[in-house]
Amino acid sequence: MSDAVSVERARGLALPRFLTADSPVPWLLPITAMLTVFGLYPLGYSIWLSLHKRNVLTRQLDFAGGYQWVKAFSDARMWGALETTLLYTFVALALQLVLGILIALLLDTDRRGYGVLRAMMTLPLVVPPAVTGMMFLLMQDGSFGVLSFYLYALDLVSPARPLLTQPHTALIAVMLADIWQWTPFMVLIMLAGLRSLPKDPFEAAAIDGASAVQTFFRLTLPMLRKVIAVAVLIRGVDLFRIYDYVYIITAGGPGTATETLSFYAGRIYFTGDFPYAATLSLIVLIVLIVVSNIFVRVFKVRF
Amino acid sequence: MEPTFFQKRLRDVVAVIVVAIFMFPIAWWALSSIKPYSAIFDRSGPVYVDFTPTPDNYRVTLLGVSRVQIGMEQGGDAAGVIKGGANSYDSRQSLADSAIIAVGSTIVTLFLATLAAYCLSRMQFVGQQSFLFWILSQRFMPPIAMVIPIVFMFRDLGLRDTYLGLILVHTLINLPLAVLLLKSFFDDVPREIDEAAMIDGATRAQTFYKIVLPMVKGGIAAAAVLCFIFSWTEFLLSLFLTTEIRTVPVKISTFVTSTATEWGYITALGTSAIVPSFIFILLVQRHLVRGLTLGSLKD
Repeated sequence: MSDAVSVERARGLALPRFLTADSPVPWLLPITAMLTVFGLYPLGYSIWLSLHKRNVLTRQLDFAGGYQWVKAFSDARMWGALETTLLYTFVALALQLVLGILIALLLDTDRRGYGVLRAMMTLPLVVPPAVTGMMFLLMQDGSFGVLSFYLYALDLVSPARPLLTQPHTALIAVMLADIWQWTPFMVLIMLAGLRSLPKDPFEAAAIDGASAVQTFFRLTLPMLRKVIAVAVLIRGVDLFRIYDYVYIITAGGPGTATETLSFYAGRIYFTGDFPYAATLSLIVLIVLIVVSNIFVRVFKVRF
Repeated sequence: MEPTFFQKRLRDVVAVIVVAIFMFPIAWWALSSIKPYSAIFDRSGPVYVDFTPTPDNYRVTLLGVSRVQIGMEQGGDAAGVIKGGANSYDSRQSLADSAIIAVGSTIVTLFLATLAAYCLSRMQFVGQQSFLFWILSQRFMPPIAMVIPIVFMFRDLGLRDTYLGLILVHTLINLPLAVLLLKSFFDDVPREIDEAAMIDGATRAQTFYKIVLPMVKGGIAAAAVLCFIFSWTEFLLSLFLTTEIRTVPVKISTFVTSTATEWGYITALGTSAIVPSFIFILLVQRHLVRGLTLGSLKD
């Protein structure tokens, strides 16, 4: 009865005609406007910049065709940064994914107390990344850092070569911050996935006497395939654009050992060479668009 | 195959250890915020309990007590204490700035994303997947690439150093995830409900506003919390686009000066900054754990 009344009243509202038609346009117009102004315009501007060159004398931007692009592709430092970025992305992504799945499996139970554990597991997500960087900087400090202290004590790192001062270990130090902060995000996604799986196949498997390991590889993992694909896509993109942790923890150093592509672009930006900084940023963007398009097709990701 | 008593206890122990490892950096951080300086910089080993807790770092950052005054209270010579960074460590204005920007951008994001997500969930049109991919690809742009054009654009539009400017930029970075998340919540509501409402004479807009929207309240709350957190914690764009307005992460970064890194104030403000976000995320955790599959499990 009351439903009928409310619908009757609703019909009385005079809405503009285009809102009553069943067209996607009014629904998507606001977001399209927003993304065009703040998304497409910066993109267009970056492309424009990348085709120009800064004139040192007049401080004007002169059209330079493919100059910046040729420069980028013959820049050994760019290739080094790309290599570091790829290494960082793959290692951190693999670790976050594996840890995320394992921890989600561990915490996915209705037993008492696990709700609290799951809640605590989300805590790293709310820490500002800049603060995370500083947290790890404080813990990894060569002389008074708590993490350094235990690494020395366990003889994993020598006090003569603190974590942040060595080219190989500095990248690990940055990754630790990333893994700490974003593994919980993976855990949340995987928990969401595990929760929405149908129960029947698991009961059947249990009756058939399948072991936990068999159940995981034959049932859970294949059924989680799509969730994993979306998680890998979203995390992979963010990892490839990594900037904050590098900026705060190592500033690209020692030398250029932890310099990622985004960070290199940022460094160039600070020198005032906007055209080259824009070109380097566009390389990040192009790689991401190409790789994620292939990824979406291969793994048949649908949103 | 019920797990044995021993297996259950083993699982409990492993779970607690894993969570404790992830808790450790935050616990250490919070602990450092109430330590006197000598305990933070102890080179002989980590200090856990062997120090006199002090609220001074919080008094300076959250209550605006000047460090000179604290130095005098301790009977030390004030000149010695103020040596080092000359910035103001009073962060109350930053907390207010961050709150205004985070709440503002959450509202704008939710408005845009809810409309789009409902439409993408309910209507079929040509290029739908491409449109979604386009929204998602907003996340592909390295932040530094956005900085250059947006700095110029904001200068021309008079948006530099304004709340509105940062609200719009944070909205832009939050939109992709918000749309995906909300769409997956809308997908959970059967289409038949919309159809029934529309057969009864409701328009699409009425169906959306009066019927479907109230059914995804939990999901919207979850999306709101994620948007709030991402805006509250965003660093790079806030750093470049403002000079007067200082969001909390930017403020914290100013505590690292050329002469000293003020770990006491950094840890105090850092700890305080986590508290509101954590409360919010606890409130919506149930919905997050349902919705974060981002629609990927739908048929």
